[in-house]
Amino acid sequence: MNLKSYINATKNLEEHSRQCYAETIILSSDEFVEMMLLDACFLVELFHSGDFSTKMPGRVSDSGNSLVPFSPEVPDPIIYPLHHGLTLPISRLSISWSRGNCLRVSFFPKPSPDPCREDSGNSNGEIGGKVVEVKLSSGDGEIDDAQERRIAYGSVSPFALLQSRKNSFSELSRMSMSSSSYHVDWWEHVMEYSRDIDSLLGNPKPPPSSAIEDPKTVLKTVEEPTCLKAAWELMEIFYVDKQSQAWLSERLVDWLADYDSLLSGTEVTVHSKLVDLQKELVDLQAIEDDPKYWEGISSALAVGWLEIAVKLLRLHGSYQLHQLGKRETENGLVETVAVLVSKMPRMRPELAAGRLGECFKTKPDFIKAWEKWRGNITKLDCSGYWIECDHRQTKEGLRKILQIMLGNTDILSNTTCHWMELYISHFLYIRPFTMGLEGMYSLAQKCMQLKLMSTPHKLMGLILGILGENTEVVLAECSRAFGPWMVAHAIELLTAGSNQAEILLHEERYNLGGISIEELHRLVYAQVLSSHALTWQIAPIYLMSCTKQGMGLLEILLYKQPVHHNKTLLKILEICRLYELNSLGSDIMKIAGIYHWKHGRKGAGVFWLQQAQDEARLNRIAQQLFDFVGKSICDESFKQWEGLIELLGSGVRSAGGLEFLHKYRDFKKSLQQVHDGKTIDAARQAVESLILLMRNPSTPQRFWLPLLHDSLKLLSWQERPLLSVSETNLLLNKLQELSMSRLRPDFCEADLPPQALSSVRLALATNLGRAILEIKGIKLGTVIILCKLESMLWFCWSLDFSLGVLGLRAVDGSCFALIELIIGLSIAAQLMRYYNHHHLGVHLQSEFTLRMDENNIITPEEETETALHHKGTLATSPIITFTFRSVEYQQYN
Amino acid sequence: MAVIGTGLAEKLKIHRFPQSKYIDALRWLSPLSASDRFVVLALHDSDSDASSIEIHALDHSNLNLQSSWIPPSRISSLRVSQTPHKPLVAASTFAGSLHILFPDPVDASLESELSLPENSLHIGPISGIDLQGSGCECVCVGEDGRVNLIHVGDSRLNYCQVFDSHGLVSYTAAKWASPAEFGTGGFGHSLQWWDQRKPGGAVSQLKGNWAQSTSSGIVHCIDIHPSRKHICLAGGSAGTVFAWDLRWQQQPIILSGIGPGETAAISPSESEVWEVQFDCYMQSSNISSMSSSRILPVMMASEDGILAVVEQGEEPIEVLAEPCAINSFDINQQNPSDVICSLEWESIAILTRR
Repeated sequence: MNLKSYINATKNLEEHSRQCYAETIILSSDEFVEMMLLDACFLVELFHSGDFSTKMPGRVSDSGNSLVPFSPEVPDPIIYPLHHGLTLPISRLSISWSRGNCLRVSFFPKPSPDPCREDSGNSNGEIGGKVVEVKLSSGDGEIDDAQERRIAYGSVSPFALLQSRKNSFSELSRMSMSSSSYHVDWWEHVMEYSRDIDSLLGNPKPPPSSAIEDPKTVLKTVEEPTCLKAAWELMEIFYVDKQSQAWLSERLVDWLADYDSLLSGTEVTVHSKLVDLQKELVDLQAIEDDPKYWEGISSALAVGWLEIAVKLLRLHGSYQLHQLGKRETENGLVETVAVLVSKMPRMRPELAAGRLGECFKTKPDFIKAWEKWRGNITKLDCSGYWIECDHRQTKEGLRKILQIMLGNTDILSNTTCHWMELYISHFLYIRPFTMGLEGMYSLAQKCMQLKLMSTPHKLMGLILGILGENTEVVLAECSRAFGPWMVAHAIELLTAGSNQAEILLHEERYNLGGISIEELHRLVYAQVLSSHALTWQIAPIYLMSCTKQGMGLLEILLYKQPVHHNKTLLKILEICRLYELNSLGSDIMKIAGIYHWKHGRKGAGVFWLQQAQDEARLNRIAQQLFDFVGKSICDESFKQWEGLIELLGSGVRSAGGLEFLHKYRDFKKSLQQVHDGKTIDAARQAVESLILLMRNPSTPQRFWLPLLHDSLKLLSWQERPLLSVSETNLLLNKLQELSMSRLRPDFCEADLPPQALSSVRLALATNLGRAILEIKGIKLGTVIILCKLESMLWFCWSLDFSLGVLGLRAVDGSCFALIELIIGLSIAAQLMRYYNHHHLGVHLQSEFTLRMDENNIITPEEETETALHHKGTLATSPIITFTFRSVEYQQYN
Repeated sequence: MAVIGTGLAEKLKIHRFPQSKYIDALRWLSPLSASDRFVVLALHDSDSDASSIEIHALDHSNLNLQSSWIPPSRISSLRVSQTPHKPLVAASTFAGSLHILFPDPVDASLESELSLPENSLHIGPISGIDLQGSGCECVCVGEDGRVNLIHVGDSRLNYCQVFDSHGLVSYTAAKWASPAEFGTGGFGHSLQWWDQRKPGGAVSQLKGNWAQSTSSGIVHCIDIHPSRKHICLAGGSAGTVFAWDLRWQQQPIILSGIGPGETAAISPSESEVWEVQFDCYMQSSNISSMSSSRILPVMMASEDGILAVVEQGEEPIEVLAEPCAINSFDINQQNPSDVICSLEWESIAILTRR
C-alpha cells in the first residue's frame, strides 16, 4: 500500500465527495484530493493518538501499559459506497446504531430555499430524507450470525458448569488448604468443558460414507473445517490437555491434517496440491509418468499423511496385473517403500483405526524402533535393486521419498508449501525426539524465514503466540481474529494449568478500572450478547461471573429491555428473580404498569403497579380512575368493572386508593339487592358498607354526596332507622365537611339534582331523631307515620337551611353535632306535640337534658323548657329561636 | 442430552431442529393422509424484523418446507383446526390483525388467505385466539379488554364484539368449550366463562385473588378437555397450573404451584408456565377408572425449561429439562405420543414417547 493507491482511491470518489459539501468547493481536482487525503490522515492520526479514548485498553497512547499490542500499520482501507438515491447535495448525515449489527445512516437533503421551485421542478421534493440500514458483518463470513448465536447458546451450559465447579473447587481448597490436589483434577474439568465447546464449533456428524470406497479417492471429503474450531483445538492441545504434553508434535501433526485446508485459502498448501492431483487422477492413464503424482506422494509423506502416501503409491502402474510380470523389481521397490512408510514409528498413545504407523508410548522404545526403521531405509537406499529399475520417474520419486524419511532438509523444504508444513515435517523426520515446547518457537521462526507468507493467515498469529509462550499475545490474537466469544471462553483454557497465566489474567488492574483482564473480556462478550434481541438473555450468566462490574451492568441491561410485550417483561422479571434483584424487578414492574396504564390498559397497569407494591402511583392513578368511575359507573356498566375489582383483591395486597372501588362495588351490590328484594338484612348490610366507605379515608370526597344520595332510601328506611346515632353523626360530620369544601375553588360538583344535599341532610336529621327515639324505647310506628307528612318535611328543610348557615359559623365540630342533635330532638318533639303526644314531649325533654349533660354543657333549662312547651302551638319561630340561642350560648361559653 | 424423568427417559426419542429464527408459536397440522406429519411454525427474524408462517413436513428426522406466508407483523397466537379434510390455520399478530390460512389438506400448500386488518378487532395486540372444532368460529381476546367472535366464511370474515371492558380487564388467553361457550384468562390468575346465549358479559368468573398471597400472576394459556367441558385448565405465573371446575366455582384445584392457604402442590417449575394442555397420551391407561371430578393429566412447559406432566395428587413427571425456556408446545391430537416444542434458543424439539 503506497501513497499512490490512497490518492487513486480518493480520486475515484472525488465527484461524490464534492457533492457531499453543501457549498461548491473552488479547488482543482488535485487540490481537492490533497485536502481530502490530509483530512483523512488527520482523522486516522487522531484515532490512533489515543486522545480520543485514553481509557480504552490497547490504544497506543499508553504504549507502555497497553495490553493488546497495536500494530501501527493500517490494513488496506476498504471503501463501500452507500446508495441513497437522493438528489445531491446532502446537507446532513446522521449515523446511529440500529438493531443488531446494523448501522442506521440517515440522509437529509439540503432544504430547498424556494418552496415554489421545489413544487414545480424537483421530482424528489416530497422526500424529506432517506434512511439506509448498513449491515456490518465480521468480514470473512466463515460463520454466519445464526451459527454464531447457536455457538453462543451452546456454550452457556458448559461455561456455567465450569464456573460452578470452579466455585466449589476454590471453596474446597480454601477449606483443606491444599492446592496440590486442585490442579491435578482441575484440568480434567477444563478438558470436559473444552470438549463440550469444541463439539459446538464443528459438525461432529461424519458425512455419509458410501459402502464401496473409490480407490481413486485419495482425500476424504469432510465437512469444511472452521478457523474457530482450529484455533480452539490448538489452545486445547497446548494449554489444557496435560496428557498431550509428551507427544505434542504428534498432536500438531494431527491438527495440521485436520486444518491444512484452511491455510489453502491464502497460500498453496499440500492440501490444495492434493486436491488438484485428485482431480487429475481420474483422467491419467499412467500416473507414475506424471511428476505431480510423485510430488503429491512426497508432500503428503512430508507432513505425515501416511495413509494418503501409501494409497497413492498403490495406485502405481506396476500393480496392474498385466504389468506385474514386466515390472517386477519396480513393483517390489514401490511395495517396499509403501511398507516402510506404513511402518513408521510414532511416539503417541494410540492411533485411530485405519491410521498407519506403529505406536510407541515410551521414549526408549520409540528411539529403538526409530533407529531400526531408519536403518531399514538406509539399507534400501543403498540396495542394488535401484539399478534394475527401468522407470526413471519411479526411481527418482521413490528415492526422494526415502530422502524425506531420512530427514533431508532441502527435500523437505521443497516438498512442503506452507511454513507450518515445513515445521511439521521437521518434527516428523529431523527431530523426532523433541519433547514439550523446547526450541519450538525458534524452529517456527526458522521455518517462517524459509517459507515467507504473502498474507498471514489469522491462525498463524495465534500459533506464534502460543509457541512464544506469551499469554498476552495469545489473548490479543484471539480477540483480533476470532472476536469476543473466543476470548471470553478461551481464558478458561489459558488458566487451566498455568499459575503464571492465572495471576496475569486475574490480577486487578488499575488501568482497567480495577478489574482483571478476565473480567474485562467477559464484560465485553456480555455487551456483545446484550446488543442482540435474542441473545441478551444469556448475558446475565457471563455478567454474574464478573465480581466487580457484573451486577451493575446486569442492572443496566435489564433496565434497557423493552417492556411492551408481557412475554419479554416476564422473562426480564424471571432473571430479576433468579439473581434476587428485587428492587430492580419492582422498578421494571412500575415501568410496565405505567406503560400499560398510558396505553389504556388500565387493568394491566393496576396489576403491575400492585405487583410492584407502588402505593404512591396507585393512589395517583386511582384519582384518574375515579374520574372514569364517576362518569361510567352505573348498574349496566358494572360488568366492565367486575374484573378489575376482582383483580384488586380484598385488601391483602396493596391497592392504594383503589381499595375504595372494592368497597364501592360491595355497597352497590347490596344496594341493588335492597332495591330488588327489600329485605331488612340486605338493607342493614348496605348501611354497613356505606359506613365503611364513609369511614375509609381513601374514599374520595367527591363520592360522598353521590353515595349518600344513592342511599337515601336507606337513610329514610320506613320500618326503623337503620343508622345508629353515632353513625348518623359521622355522616352528618362528613356532610358538613363537604359543605365547607364546596366553597373551595377546586371543588367539583357531582352530577346530582340541586336539592340533593338538602334531601340527604333532611334524611339524616330525620334518621338521627328516630335513632335517638329508638334508643329510648319509643315505638317507632307512630313516628314513621309522621315522617310521611310532606309539609313537615318542607318545614324541616327550611329549618335545616338556617342550620347550614349556622354550621358554617360553628367551627367546632362537636358543637355542630350538638346542633344537629338538638334539631333532631326538636323536630321529634315538634312532631310529638303536633299529634298531642305530650307525654312523649316531656320524655324528649329529659332526653335532651341528658344529651346536653353528656356533652358537658350546662343546659339553660328554662329556655329549653320555654321552647319545648310553647303552649302546644305549631310554629317555626320558637324552635329557631331556641337553636339560635343555644348556639349563642355555646359560643359564649 | 438432558433428559431427566422417572420412567420416561428411556422411552423418549428427541429430535432437535435448530432454526436461524426465533419461534413465536408452533402447532401440529393434521393432514389428510395418516402417514404425513405437518408442522406449522410462526417464525421471527429479529435482524430483519421479518415474520413468517411456514408449514413443514416432518419425515424421519428432517423438516421440509412445504409452504410459507408472510404476515404483516409478528405472530402472537397460532391455532389450527383439527379437521383433516379442511384444515385451517388461524394466526393473530401483535399489530392486531387476524389471518386465516387455508392449507391444502394433502400437500399443505397454501391455497388462500382471509384477514381482518389491524385496529378493526382490537386496539393493540391480539393476545389469544382459539378456533372452534369445526373451524368456522374463532374467538379472539386482547389486552385492550375486548372479546370478539369471528365467523369464518368461504370468502370473507365477519366479526362481532362480544364484550369490551375498555381496558379495565385484560385478557390473555381464550379457549372454546362448546359451540356456545368459551373460557378466557387474564391478569391476577383470573378466569372468565362466557356463553354466547347470555350476552352482556361473562357468565361466571373465578376470583383473581384466590391465591391470597402477596404476589399474583397472569394466566398465559388455558385448555378445556372436549370430554370434560366444565373444567377449565390454566397455566400461569410462578409455576402455577390450576383447574377451575364450574360446578365448584369458589376455589380452583391446584395441580402445581402454591394454592390457597399455602397448600403447595409439588411444582416442577417456579417460573412462568407458558403453555398447558391436557395430555391425551398419559390418560389412555386409566381413564375409565377416573371420576369426572378428577383432573386429567396435564402437560406443561415453563420458562425455566421444564416440560412435565402433572397429575392431581401425584408426583410430576419431568419429560424434558432444557437449559433455556420452552416457550410453547403442542401435542399431536392424532398421535398423542408426539409432542413438538419450541425452545428459546431458536430451535425446535420433537419428542416421541413410546
